[in-house]
Amino acid sequence: MDLNPLPQQQIFSKLTKSDFLKTGISRMLLAATLTAAILYFLILSFWLPQGNAWLFALLIAGEIFHLWQAITYLYTVWDTSYSAKVDKNFQPWVDIYITVAGEPVEVVETTARAAMAQRYPNFRVYLLNDGLVAKKDNWQQIERLAQRLGIECITREKPGGAKAGNINNALNITASPLVAIFDADQVPHKNFLSKTVGYFGDTSIGFVQTPQYYKNKGLNEITAGSWEQQEIFFGPICKGKNRLNSTFLCGTNMVIRKTALLAVGGMCEDNIAEDFLTSLFIHEQGWKSVYVPKILTEGLAPQDFLSYYKQQFRWSRGSLEVVFKYNPLFRKGLSLAQRVQYLASASYYLSGLVVLVNALMPLVFFYTGLTPLNTSTMNLAAVFLPYIFLTILVLRLSSRQSYTFRALAFSMSSFPIQIWATLSILLGRKANFSVTSKKQLKGDFWYLAAPHLAYVLLALLGIELAILRQGLTAAVLTNISWALFNISVFLPFIQAAVSPQPQKETQKAAVGEISPAAEASLPERSLP
Amino acid sequence: MDTIIKNPALPLAEQKPSGQMPVARTFARQKFLTKILLASFMLLPVLISYFFLSQQSLRLDEAQSLWQSSHSPIRIFYVVAQDVHVPLYNLLLHFWQFLFGNSVPQTRFFSLALLLAAIPMVYLLGKTALNRNIGLFAALLVAVSPFLNWYGNEIRMYSLMTFITVLNQYFYIKIFKFRKTRGFDDQYRLQKLWWGYGLSALAGIYSHYFFAFVLLSEAIFYFFYRQQFPDKSLKKFAAVALILLAAIAPWIYYVYRLGMIGDSTPLLYRPTTINLFNTLTQFLFGFQDDHLNTIIVSLWPVSILFLFLALRKNSKITPETTFFFLSAIFPVITAFIISIAIRPLFLTRYLILAAPSLFIFLGWFLDIYPKKISLSFKALLVAAMLTTLAAQIANADTPVKEDYKSVAQYLDAQAAPQDAIAISAPFTIYPIEYYYKGPAIMSTLPFWDRYRTGPIPAFAESQLPQQVDQLKNGHQKIFLVLSYDQGYESKIKNYFDIHFEKLSEKKFSPDLNIYVYRVGYNNISLDNSKAVQNFGIMARN
Repeated sequence: MDLNPLPQQQIFSKLTKSDFLKTGISRMLLAATLTAAILYFLILSFWLPQGNAWLFALLIAGEIFHLWQAITYLYTVWDTSYSAKVDKNFQPWVDIYITVAGEPVEVVETTARAAMAQRYPNFRVYLLNDGLVAKKDNWQQIERLAQRLGIECITREKPGGAKAGNINNALNITASPLVAIFDADQVPHKNFLSKTVGYFGDTSIGFVQTPQYYKNKGLNEITAGSWEQQEIFFGPICKGKNRLNSTFLCGTNMVIRKTALLAVGGMCEDNIAEDFLTSLFIHEQGWKSVYVPKILTEGLAPQDFLSYYKQQFRWSRGSLEVVFKYNPLFRKGLSLAQRVQYLASASYYLSGLVVLVNALMPLVFFYTGLTPLNTSTMNLAAVFLPYIFLTILVLRLSSRQSYTFRALAFSMSSFPIQIWATLSILLGRKANFSVTSKKQLKGDFWYLAAPHLAYVLLALLGIELAILRQGLTAAVLTNISWALFNISVFLPFIQAAVSPQPQKETQKAAVGEISPAAEASLPERSLP
Repeated sequence: MDTIIKNPALPLAEQKPSGQMPVARTFARQKFLTKILLASFMLLPVLISYFFLSQQSLRLDEAQSLWQSSHSPIRIFYVVAQDVHVPLYNLLLHFWQFLFGNSVPQTRFFSLALLLAAIPMVYLLGKTALNRNIGLFAALLVAVSPFLNWYGNEIRMYSLMTFITVLNQYFYIKIFKFRKTRGFDDQYRLQKLWWGYGLSALAGIYSHYFFAFVLLSEAIFYFFYRQQFPDKSLKKFAAVALILLAAIAPWIYYVYRLGMIGDSTPLLYRPTTINLFNTLTQFLFGFQDDHLNTIIVSLWPVSILFLFLALRKNSKITPETTFFFLSAIFPVITAFIISIAIRPLFLTRYLILAAPSLFIFLGWFLDIYPKKISLSFKALLVAAMLTTLAAQIANADTPVKEDYKSVAQYLDAQAAPQDAIAISAPFTIYPIEYYYKGPAIMSTLPFWDRYRTGPIPAFAESQLPQQVDQLKNGHQKIFLVLSYDQGYESKIKNYFDIHFEKLSEKKFSPDLNIYVYRVGYNNISLDNSKAVQNFGIMARN
């Protein structure tokens, strides 16, 4: 017997920061997953005996949504190898916009200096200073910064349209055929322009989008969770969308052809996710889009729970407005693939409703004994387990192992945010644009996880009730398992809300820190 | 920073920074520790067997193995060909008995020896395919597995299957990892691996028909990863396949010619999804009573949580991981589908060959988690397996228990010469007669003369009154022993309940009961030899 203890084989390894961009997955596996998803849905809907009609209807509604998500995801990542043609000799003038609305001067300076250092012959850098109209204390400091750096500062005096209005104002002032847009914290690499502008050699290209990399992802649970959610989007999803000419603008790290932007009336000011809707309008006009899967900028993730919560709300609200007010299915000028892709991205935020419905199923059972299905729990397991196993496998492999439990937990636990966003649209409540804070807010945000804490409490009480009523039957045990599953998924979110997020000493200076009171005094605070 | 001064006179392995152990010594210590750990893992099944499992009653299938292997080697081929199995185990058992004796503990030790051999073999397989820690953990799971311990103490072929499967997979993985040959020495080493693979496959197909699932899993894996195998592997695999077909063909032809396999096919039902999940949980937690089993399988949503928790950045799914997943799941799923679509053949014990792969896969899977969580989960799993192992041993209602020994002891004490014993299903007479030393005559219902060639007669309800009348004739009481329901047990019992006074009943293990009926009040004159002659009744004393 060979018991020679050789060093451990390398089967576990650290990934590099750009591994999420190395996508590609077996199509046989994707086809198997699609088959499993459809089979699961058909068996659940038509073969397993129904229980309570209302619960069954809710379950099926949720499963229709899941099937839609599965099909669109598989369709998106089917081929992520597409890349558009690039003309390296095409070097027109580019205006670089750095949008500023009260961000710390040192953060803006870093970005401005990086923009100025582009290895590209024809460009001008502008600070689009919205500090005055947004009533930020440091707006004059931004002007002085521009003066010091020798770049232009465009300070708006007439408010309106938030970030989109700020950009539109600059479009009227600057003259270059292309504009590159960065948020104040998104520091471009020196090769940003040289890696993106060449695509505009094709005159049909309307815009080019690049990933939004969070350099502070290792700071705490929030930044890590935020980044891990981004990876699957900027990895396989965006690369798949690139093939389908369905890449959309993500608000920063993008280059837009000015004529394309002006053709749709500039950045859309009616929606708090102005970038998403603007890209829809640009695509409608027949312009093409390109996604460049390279890390060409490094920025900051939200560093505290409140900022994360507000960012998620803004994205949810903006995207869902597209579903309810600008439904891509009924827009003219889009290809079928674009309609599907836009709807898939926008409708993602409806998943909060489905998460809630699924989470409530065990609670309903605990308190009423009602179930959506009248079948052996093993029958359900037999169809559900292959489906979920393949789904998880596809998520892992398609994202090159970058998708994590924390990302999944944050996504699923965001259900109250998404539901609130849905309700706010349906109730016609006005939403304000809110810049994601570039500083860590101090404070205890446990109240933002109140729905999750309530769930834990209700589940624990319900479990006791169900055991008292029925004993440890198979149905009780399976529902207890589901409840524990949900609680476990909510835990990282609850933990992030209730625990103060630690900062690494080396990063503290870079990201700054302000108190919740100061943040609360900001005029554009739009906490739902 | 410490300065490390290298001594050119020493080989690199002997060199060390001040205060640190040399690399060679570290390796030697690790090697020694591994041996100690494996030895202690192996000690566990020995202790369990010695104190508990080897003392258990002979079970029906074991009695059959003893009977089959008691024949001459040539005759073994004949008797096994009438069964649903292949002959390797019975041939080996025949020689084992010749060398070590034929008592129940002695013959059970053959299976135990194979289980013990499987422990370091699983370690080697896990270490070769993945790493040392995974190999060690998988070996520990084998040692504490209630399922494998059960069959490591049963006079059946299942431990042999397990060992040969692991051996075959070891050669397969070694070939896979060989990748490219570089010189003559490499070719020679690779050649040896092919021989090992071929011979173990040959032994495998003669240990159980289900070994085909192992080979099919390997073929599927080859299809997906053929580019990573050494050159000319396809030709080699094709050659092995042809040799295997040539080797098994005469046996298949022989069985077909005899045409008696259907006579002894066990009554199997179409499996349900509950059976499917029971199989997977039995691999880990053994055979438990209904209540505990319900608890275990109903917690299946927790497995989804484990899957979600495994979404971590540090792990990549290697081909070897895929191999073990495939080897663990493919046989179970395929047997289930065949049982649903074609004919029932789904039995957990036939699928034992999937268990070692499942353990290695679990070892890899649990290693994905952060170290502390990983250790906690591993400890939890081992603790759960040990607990269920204890429950399986201690619980009288463990479903696979067949306490024919106590039945025989009861009959020894209770059945008088003027009484009769009726046993159904007929083939359960083997383990009872192994232990029974009493004076009462024994018969089966339906009547079966085992000394005449042919199948066990089918049960005919119309013949039951006549057979019972013949059996009760001249006897005071009938001890009706019912187990292994073949679909007519309730009819027999109902007949007795309606026509005779039930005096008592006793349960010995799940589905093994004795019902005592008064059938006569006259003084009797016994003529057992006549009974034997007429009804195939076997008389003792």
